[in-house]
Amino acid sequence: MTPKNNIIIGIIIALLVIASYNVDANPIDFVEGLPNLAVIVEEMVLVEPKYIPTAFWAMLETIQMAFIGTVVGVAIALPLSMLAARNLNNKYIYGPTRALLAAIRTFPSILWAILFVIMVGLGPFAGVLAIIMYTIGFIGKLQYEVIETIDSDPMDAVNSIGVSKLQLIRYVVIPESASHLLGQMLYMFDYNVRQTSILGLVGAGGIGFYIINYIKFFEYGKAAIFMLVVLVTVLVIDWISVKIRDKYIVKSQHGMEVITK
Amino acid sequence: MSQKPSFSLISTKKIIQMNDVWTSYDSKNFALESINLSIDRGANYAIVGQSGSGKSTLLKLMNGMMIPSKGIIKIDYVTPNMNDKKFKNMMHTIGYIPQSLGLVKNITVLENILIGALPRLGKLESLLKKFPEHEIQEAKKIISQVGLSGKENRKAYMLSGGEKRRVAIARALMQKPTILLADEIVSELDHVTAHEIMKLITGAQKRMNLTAIMVHHDIELALEYANRVAVIKEGQKILEIGVEGDTIVDFQTGDMNNDEIMEMYANDS
Repeated sequence: MTPKNNIIIGIIIALLVIASYNVDANPIDFVEGLPNLAVIVEEMVLVEPKYIPTAFWAMLETIQMAFIGTVVGVAIALPLSMLAARNLNNKYIYGPTRALLAAIRTFPSILWAILFVIMVGLGPFAGVLAIIMYTIGFIGKLQYEVIETIDSDPMDAVNSIGVSKLQLIRYVVIPESASHLLGQMLYMFDYNVRQTSILGLVGAGGIGFYIINYIKFFEYGKAAIFMLVVLVTVLVIDWISVKIRDKYIVKSQHGMEVITK
Repeated sequence: MSQKPSFSLISTKKIIQMNDVWTSYDSKNFALESINLSIDRGANYAIVGQSGSGKSTLLKLMNGMMIPSKGIIKIDYVTPNMNDKKFKNMMHTIGYIPQSLGLVKNITVLENILIGALPRLGKLESLLKKFPEHEIQEAKKIISQVGLSGKENRKAYMLSGGEKRRVAIARALMQKPTILLADEIVSELDHVTAHEIMKLITGAQKRMNLTAIMVHHDIELALEYANRVAVIKEGQKILEIGVEGDTIVDFQTGDMNNDEIMEMYANDS
């Protein structure tokens, strides 16, 4: 342990204390608040099973919202990511596209949801639009980064045949980035299901709408059912995406390893 | 247009001409210095040198991926430059095999080879991956010529080093090229496979009457297959030799002395 390290650790601890003071983060409050948690948990344990069908249908709506949002979002994000990739375009094209994607990404999905609720009114459609926007910003960025890391050798070789940019994208860029895209789509869907679950907070449909309303009226037992359904769904989706990953992505990653030898 | 034909150094027999060509990576260091080359139509030409001698740069100048900082290059009367429309239209006639081969890993052997036919394909067809039947037949013919029959549907990343080179050759042949450029295509191969690949290319070169320009680092291998061999050292062409009968001829001086030239090269390397 060098003196320099001690100084750094000291600074971090000092910052932690100052920041905690500024945001009123008092551990004593936390300990004193524990009995309140016990009250909520106690009420939550009193689950009311008759709400399970309602929770199930609400969850199904949420999943459908996330599905539309992911698919449409990716479909819009893909061409944008091609425009934003530095190895495919000049700066007059990738610059503005990147700025657009960054601007879209600046807003979290809940802010988009508020905006769309104002635009198209309360309900799931506003949520779907919010998810689409968020997916565009996120997948657009991830995908242009993947495209920029594509091996330049096949790009140069195929370019030297005198192909068009469209052909280069179709025959080199898409095949070489497809496995990454699949992984990102799975992650995005998983993420969007969780996101959509809370978009109900601002009236943009989905299961979150039920959760926030039951909590508002202190009906923790009913809220608990809906939260439980979210938890189970997320776990199931996670399990399915692991299976898909193992089948398609790990294999192609392995293939990439073979080629570098 | 009643324009007078301008004076030209280019002869019709020569498919590639380089006149006092210099390239540089920065303003002080030159990668190639005052290179003069002229290559006959239908020749089997080799460029030999150590790594870093500038021999790969020479190939990149010929297919327009690089442009010289000074000097004139003409490929079939056209100055090679990837960003120039006129040259872009003739790029499909130049088959270029980089040292890395540049195969698309995640698509099949057949698809990789069909990429060579893309310049002949319409917009919609290429977007939908709909190749006309005669192109697919042509690709299959080439696949059997390069000895890849039965491996059409393998993904490129699954192939061995020798097989990958065959795919790269097939893709170049699929272009129906008049010029074939290959950068150290047999460098990392074992002796037997290297000669198989060389025979494959030489065979195709004769059959299709191609002008083949191949970069090697092994001068004996180069002399075995090529009509002429240019030796590049530190960016300069120091020798241009070829085998006539059983002697090595120096085309720069006209000398014919087997041992001396080989010795000279041996001292250089």
